[in-house]
Amino acid sequence: MHFNNYYFIFKSVKRPIFYQLIKPFMKQKMKDHVVLSTEQEDFDYVDINVPCQKACPASTNIPAYIQALSDAQYDTSYDINRRSNIFPGVLGRICSRPCENLCRHGEDELGEPVNICHIKRAAADFRDKDSGSKEIRLPDCNKKVAVIGAGPAGLAAAHDLALNGVSVTIFESFDHPGGMLRYGIPEFRLPRNIIREEIDQILQLGVTLKTGIKVGEQVTLEEMQREYDAVLIATGCYKPNHMDIEGETLDGVFMGLDFMIDVCSEKAPTVGKRVIVVGAGFTAFDCARSALRLEAEEVMICLRRTEEDLTVTEDEVFQAKSEGIKISPLMLSRRIMGNHKIEGVEFVRTRLGETGKDGKQRIVPIEGSEFVLPADTLIVAAGQGPELMNCSNQQIVSAEVETFKASTQGVYLTGDYLTGPTTAIEAIALGRKAAEKITRDLTGKHFREKAVRMQDTTITHRQRSWDFIPRQEMPTINTVEDRLKDLTSEVETGFTEQPAKEESKRCYLCYLHYEIDLDRCIYCSYCIDLAPRDCIKLVEEIITNENGAIESLKETTSWKNVNAVVIDNKRCIRCGECVRICPVDCISVTKVELEEENIACNIACIEQKGCNKN
Amino acid sequence: MAGDHFIVIGNGPAGSQAAFTLREKAPDAEVSIITREREGCCHSHLLPKFLAGTVSKKDLFAISFDDYIKKGIKLRTGQSIVNVDISKREVLLDHKEILPFSGLIIAVGGKPRIPEPLLVFKDLLYPLKSFSETTIWQKKLLNVDSILMLGGDLTSLAVTKALLTLEKKIYFMLNEDAFWPLRFNKTLYKEVSRKLTEKGVEVLTGLKIKSIARISEDVCRVRIDDQEIEAGLIGAFFGLVPDVKFLVRSGLQIDRGILVDEYLSTGIEGIYATGDCAQIYHPELHDYWISIGTKNAKALGRLAAVNLLGGMEKTKVSKESIFDIDGIKVNTSWWSEF
Repeated sequence: MHFNNYYFIFKSVKRPIFYQLIKPFMKQKMKDHVVLSTEQEDFDYVDINVPCQKACPASTNIPAYIQALSDAQYDTSYDINRRSNIFPGVLGRICSRPCENLCRHGEDELGEPVNICHIKRAAADFRDKDSGSKEIRLPDCNKKVAVIGAGPAGLAAAHDLALNGVSVTIFESFDHPGGMLRYGIPEFRLPRNIIREEIDQILQLGVTLKTGIKVGEQVTLEEMQREYDAVLIATGCYKPNHMDIEGETLDGVFMGLDFMIDVCSEKAPTVGKRVIVVGAGFTAFDCARSALRLEAEEVMICLRRTEEDLTVTEDEVFQAKSEGIKISPLMLSRRIMGNHKIEGVEFVRTRLGETGKDGKQRIVPIEGSEFVLPADTLIVAAGQGPELMNCSNQQIVSAEVETFKASTQGVYLTGDYLTGPTTAIEAIALGRKAAEKITRDLTGKHFREKAVRMQDTTITHRQRSWDFIPRQEMPTINTVEDRLKDLTSEVETGFTEQPAKEESKRCYLCYLHYEIDLDRCIYCSYCIDLAPRDCIKLVEEIITNENGAIESLKETTSWKNVNAVVIDNKRCIRCGECVRICPVDCISVTKVELEEENIACNIACIEQKGCNKN
Repeated sequence: MAGDHFIVIGNGPAGSQAAFTLREKAPDAEVSIITREREGCCHSHLLPKFLAGTVSKKDLFAISFDDYIKKGIKLRTGQSIVNVDISKREVLLDHKEILPFSGLIIAVGGKPRIPEPLLVFKDLLYPLKSFSETTIWQKKLLNVDSILMLGGDLTSLAVTKALLTLEKKIYFMLNEDAFWPLRFNKTLYKEVSRKLTEKGVEVLTGLKIKSIARISEDVCRVRIDDQEIEAGLIGAFFGLVPDVKFLVRSGLQIDRGILVDEYLSTGIEGIYATGDCAQIYHPELHDYWISIGTKNAKALGRLAAVNLLGGMEKTKVSKESIFDIDGIKVNTSWWSEF
């Protein structure tokens, strides 16, 4: 825990980033010290310059865990992950990877994004599973919270609530915990022992889990309100959206989520030889790939939009195609044809229309372009919504976004129940935020706080040649035939150490901040000449945002107008060449990390009031 | 038109035709072609004959570099575009140069398609779609006597014919991925199989590759179901797919290719796509289609240029030459003899 080693007071440090351009005296203060800041400009700095961490809903410190893995510190790498996202082993397999979409290595002319997700999995695979949890639980605060739903949001909330000293009981309607992880994702993508191991880590904090209990049947919400100080509803979205077209009740037509729940409950339905799946999300792909393993001969996923608009990862599309699934774009189902049993689906071609307020282009059916595809099974994976709960004869529909509070006293909502269908990582992040709000409401104390941690460092041993290492792809079961033998063989077999480390070398480590000391710079321009990218700039003016973070640089080509030589950290690929070439050693490197800590735990440690933290 | 700068991306039959049409109809404008190829525009349908030695290199190339110079068309070879900024109306090249344009025609064509199940073997597979790939084949053929042909697209049959004239032993593996861009059907399958066998080709039907091992520079051992064969060269002939990945973040509508209307407009003013990379919805056909083949490419290249300059000409389709693949109609005029 970094914060434990340094005494700090939040909001006491002013403008540490780019302090040199504004307040040169700060430089000496920072030397050899760690600075922690809650200044908005420093949060903005991280958002602007560490795109992967910004993209992660749980704000995972991605460069830090990749560096740890590169140094063969697998436990550390896993722990850095777990601090933010709780389920590294699970997410290393099924995360939607918003981080990779923004990875600097994937920018124009820089190649492919780092395989961040699979490095996470490598950390989980290689860690010492017997080393035990390093998490510290705060003393009991004499508060009881019921969490309804043991999916990613409910489990994440339970984890944080337990750490905060709250007594937590989870009520789960299925026989096993995990929610969508367990019942929405097939075992060939996410082995059950991985889910169980990471859930056990949460239960080991003293969380009570009651499975097979459906709230509203065995126990009512009103009873829970009476027994607990707060009730958190995290039951997700399990009510499939229907297409409301003719023929939806014919035999051979399945709702995607119901189909997956049956597959994951070892009650897999029988499918025909020719299967059509309608939908564009992970559920559609899971249904399609499961159908192949249920001996369908031909499986086609039909999209209303284009393949480029798919929200699933490129890997998922690739794996589906590798297994022989056809993906057919720009078509909208109009009616399901057949007598008692489905015989085919009538589609109409679509085109993409104007962009709507949600940023998506409208889907416009092209009249006159109808056509029929024969099928004996149709799986409709067109999204889902929450099954609304009742309290005192009133449906619980919504909550305040900031507070997570429903209008019913003591009831909070989180995860997909609150927002509609999202991804596992988003649900986890929301679960944790809800837990923080609940404990604040119950105890009047703040628990988790974000801060930007800055520490002088030296350049890494990264070499420029590492920028040209090709992306290491996840190995899979060799032949398609072997994959399709059953529903349980994990397709992705995991990196061995060598490719995992090779992939980790590709990370630029964007949490490193490079800066030129203008007092010592002799304007030789060696760094500019050597820079592999246009990242070092002759600058006339620095434009900051309202919080003081550098937003853009007004460049000049005329030396008489140069007011600063600035490293543009948005463009910098942290190769370190500028530091190595600088004849006067005026370029410094600072590690800038966005961290979230349980400050209550730290304060408890500092004040030595009952917490056993070292 | 003076002061305008029209950029054409790609120097295949569609791109070069578009550039020459622009030059003809807008004599005062600046016209540039940017292509990552280092050679000029070649007649790709003649590549198999070039391989067989019946067509010379000179005859292979449709347009000489002098022709571009004479017409005042700036041809930039060996340069790749990594993005198109449609709001600033600029293209970004991989060497970081930014070029503004007033009109843009994208004619990047296709790249060899390798079906996903075979991608694991891609380093040992040799497509033959460009001049540079053909020269690799020529060098390899000096030392190998047997070739395994995978796929069955339009080029594969012409290449097989060329290889037979060179007296090479040929294995031809036919399966449901063959016949690109035509959809697999048993009649076609039988017909092609019979014709190939008559010519002395060993046809391997209904089989799947399990492994490929390169055991020496000129020998690969291929395990196909329960049998093993040795081949000096493995050709991959699964057609072309539009090479438009670099445009995914541009804001243009991308599916298999660049989505355009029957005027080849992308819907963004002054930006057109043409040739093999354009995916067109055609009202008469009631479906999307992609056009392949030199003749079609040239016609579409001309049409894109005309429409960029204010014309309103529609693409024409001949229903007899339309084939369906993966739900997309493909127009080809050169499925011909074997």
